Amino acid sequence: MFVKKSRKFQIILLLLMTLIACGDNAKETAKVKPPTAAPEKTAPAAVVAQPEQNPVPQKTRDVYQWYCTQCHGLKGKGDGINAKHLTVPPRDHTKGEYLETRTDKQLFDAIKLGGLAVGRAPCMPSWGNTLKDETIHSLVRYIRELCECEAL
Amino acid sequence: MPASAFADLSLAENHGCTQCHRFTQEASEEPPKGPDLFYAGNKFQKNWLENFLQNPVVVRKAGYTSDPGFLKGTPTVAQPHPSLPEKEAREMTDFLMSLKLSDLPASPVEGEPLTKGEKVRIKILFERNFGCIACHEGVNLAGQPRGGISGPSLANAGNRLTADWVFHWLKTPEKFLPKSRMPLYDLDDETAVKLTQYLMTLKIGRQN
Repeated sequence: MFVKKSRKFQIILLLLMTLIACGDNAKETAKVKPPTAAPEKTAPAAVVAQPEQNPVPQKTRDVYQWYCTQCHGLKGKGDGINAKHLTVPPRDHTKGEYLETRTDKQLFDAIKLGGLAVGRAPCMPSWGNTLKDETIHSLVRYIRELCECEAL
Repeated sequence: MPASAFADLSLAENHGCTQCHRFTQEASEEPPKGPDLFYAGNKFQKNWLENFLQNPVVVRKAGYTSDPGFLKGTPTVAQPHPSLPEKEAREMTDFLMSLKLSDLPASPVEGEPLTKGEKVRIKILFERNFGCIACHEGVNLAGQPRGGISGPSLANAGNRLTADWVFHWLKTPEKFLPKSRMPLYDLDDETAVKLTQYLMTLKIGRQN
């Protein structure tokens, strides 16, 4: 499912790129090559629908609020009540500059196995016994929503 | 026994304890404002409790986890805990120590102290492998509290808690609280015992 999702995203990205690439002379292509009009029509629809395709369910937001906020803060800015007591500050989930350098798999592993297991700060405990894989995947989607970023 | 327990509960009611604490395992309509006390006799050391009730210290710097202001760092319940005069504190402690879960098995925690090497090894487990320090205060090398504040401070766990209770909390927290904010750890008995023994070495400030 996870692989499928990222593949879906790749396809959307491809479509997006095609769109951008075609954007400048869209009129001309539409005139000259009528057959491409069909995919072009579906492409914008997919782009518009993309954020709604995998909406992060309220349940996931609640999980984040219950557990993650203690360190990562109510809005994910890395400013939870524990933050100033830690030697390594908790990740700011609104910072795309860093999070886009992490793959979804890396984020998933950090949550499931904890910071130490993935070579990050040991303050991040492992949540693999507390949360189902499905929930962790959904939390990764939520972090992507918070950072407004995807893996590069 | 039930008659005296009833009388004791009315003592707790008179002191306003029931406004924040639950004294029975029955689910309440609203989340409690303070820690559950229906297993206080399993959890606390008598001396600590008696002293705490007279000279309260702040164990949860961010307040109780279900306090509406908990995550904002501005708990709505004022701390420290209200204090009681000596006589009332004694009565209350006796009542609290009588509150125990009936189905709690004996824990395998033995009196054998940790060796120096073990203590260092378990300190690493506590601080690094399990990341407990992110939410709980432990004791650093300088003998000072060190760590996060969303969970109760463990800097004085060795004076405050019983080894049996710590072991059971680590293994089966759901027996005490259906859902806490602490991650669940799939600890084998040996690791849980060692962690418990380590926590029981954490002592800071006054002895009780």
